[in-house]
Amino acid sequence: MLDFLDISKPFDRLDNPVTLEIERAIIRWVHAEARLLDAERYQEWLDGFIDPEIHYWMPDMETRRRDDPRGTFKYGESAYFDDNWRELEIRVKRYNEPSAWADNPATRHVHLISNIEVNATDDPALFAVCSAFTNVRNRNEADQDIIHGRREDVLRAVDGGYRLLRRRVLIVQNVLLSKNLNTFF
Amino acid sequence: MCDGGCKGGARGRPNMAPVYPKAASYPEYAQLVNRENAQVDRRLFVDEAIYQAELQQIFARSWLFLAHESQIPSPGDFIRTSMGEDDVIVVRQRDGSVKAFLNSCPHRGNRVCMVDAGTKARGFICNYHGWSFGIDGGLRGTDGKVYEKDQAFEKAQIGLTPVAQIDSYKGLIFGTFDPAAPSLLDFFGPFTFYLDIMLDNDEGGTEFIGGAIKSEIDCNWKFPAENFVGDILHAFWTHQSGAQAILGAGVDLGKRYDELAFQASVYGHGIETNLDKVGNTRTLGYPELVDYVYDLSEKASARLGDLRARAIGAISSCTVFPNFSFLPGQNTFRVWHPRGPGKIELVVWTLVNKNAPEHIKEAYRKGVMMTFSPGGVFEMDDGENWEYSTRVNQGFVTRQQPLHYALGLESTDLERELPGHIHKGSMNDANQRLFYTRWAEFMEHDNWTDLQNGDTAPPQKSVKAAE
Repeated sequence: MLDFLDISKPFDRLDNPVTLEIERAIIRWVHAEARLLDAERYQEWLDGFIDPEIHYWMPDMETRRRDDPRGTFKYGESAYFDDNWRELEIRVKRYNEPSAWADNPATRHVHLISNIEVNATDDPALFAVCSAFTNVRNRNEADQDIIHGRREDVLRAVDGGYRLLRRRVLIVQNVLLSKNLNTFF
Repeated sequence: MCDGGCKGGARGRPNMAPVYPKAASYPEYAQLVNRENAQVDRRLFVDEAIYQAELQQIFARSWLFLAHESQIPSPGDFIRTSMGEDDVIVVRQRDGSVKAFLNSCPHRGNRVCMVDAGTKARGFICNYHGWSFGIDGGLRGTDGKVYEKDQAFEKAQIGLTPVAQIDSYKGLIFGTFDPAAPSLLDFFGPFTFYLDIMLDNDEGGTEFIGGAIKSEIDCNWKFPAENFVGDILHAFWTHQSGAQAILGAGVDLGKRYDELAFQASVYGHGIETNLDKVGNTRTLGYPELVDYVYDLSEKASARLGDLRARAIGAISSCTVFPNFSFLPGQNTFRVWHPRGPGKIELVVWTLVNKNAPEHIKEAYRKGVMMTFSPGGVFEMDDGENWEYSTRVNQGFVTRQQPLHYALGLESTDLERELPGHIHKGSMNDANQRLFYTRWAEFMEHDNWTDLQNGDTAPPQKSVKAAE
């Protein structure tokens, strides 16, 4: 397996710029994905943006000493998401039920994406894309949840577009300061 | 007036012996659980004075869950947790025993451990003035040896305040701040019969896998605790969407509900179960887990008997009073740490049998994540219910209206040969009534003799048989 597809590892080489044309196309993809998630168009997101071989991982962040070999997070331990396509689909099915009470009335979402860096990889069809995000949810009158973090994505060029093949979501919170995660990152 | 010899205001030397709080009696709070009418006063969920009384009466006296033995296998391995709002370090000793301490330096009070967990620690050093403590809690030294040069300094009696009693039951470590508390086994009473469904269904014992997920919910701690003690009723409505997503159908208790399902309660600890073998396990969404639990149930009937073997994966839930809960079959174990009357910190772990194959452990880890973690399709819909059940009581008029806990008033089961207070049907408020009765006993009584001999104590069935 190519190293940057190994979900347990961070990208180690981010010095491979792509052509302006590809960079523009991938930045457009990133913003379009965020717009779809803001609108809770989850089925379209699955069908149009997610590769069938997706691995979508958001680990739990622990507070550990700097010299602790385990580190802040570790693949194979507790996580908020560690999903393949079928598992993402289960989450989407719940959203689409009229009795998904935590989403009915609707939650208002904004996905702010910044710090986007697009890199080529050893495989011409795969791109390593880093970004930072602010995920804002507000519902009912004054219930607000804001989560900041970073993403490390691998995108696959397919049929003139791109699909998300791998995503690592690293948030800055240890205790999740929210009652739930009725959102994607 | 000081003539210059007043030692900077001191008249004597510090007494650094541990201080454990004394319990009091709050009959006016106990009465807020109205047993005549099967109602509970809403002030229990928002009142700051009642909350402070809970920290004193309940959390400073009860045996509280600390850790699973498997989380701290070797000397110096430790985790940080809470008992009530008190920050605590739980650490494996060199002789293999476990000790726990208040995570607060006796000098200026700062935390001596800032991390969630660690391995092979030699001790804990306060970041403020460098006071250092061994894993046995004793003061080892101070930065720069200033105190060592101070002839009047008495180091021997200084240490981290130990949790008064520590004990474990089949892998689960509990502690209490009350030196007078009865043993852990007495605190459970015959409820261990039900704990064994999860803790002793396989000869290899259990372990926690994959660390902990922590989250905050703006609710009173009693709402989730009472939910797990005996509220399967909510599953049909609250979790309809999650069940549809995973199973393609709603929650179903099956044809044998009337015959099999029951609630059991001892000292406020409670379990509700449907005895349907795999109803909870199915909702994790991995068919291999269902096969595993069927096989396990078959094998475990020699160990636990048929009834408890049927409960291993059944639609069921359990709370150990006051705030430790789990779901058989779904294998999520959790503590609802109080953080004020209107907030909790929820910590969630996954329990598996040590002997389970690796792919089964992995399926449990992922299954709990998909269902009963903050992003899980079931837990997702719980939090808002508990938040608004709590928050609406800020309304002065709203909180004058006592709540209804009267489902199953005529459901007592005196026939079944099972430990504890048994009620027919798992859709029942019986366990929740007994949970709040236990709460009232803790508010009322300042001593364990009364606490262990009230209405929540296990009924003397042999006496009944003689009548």
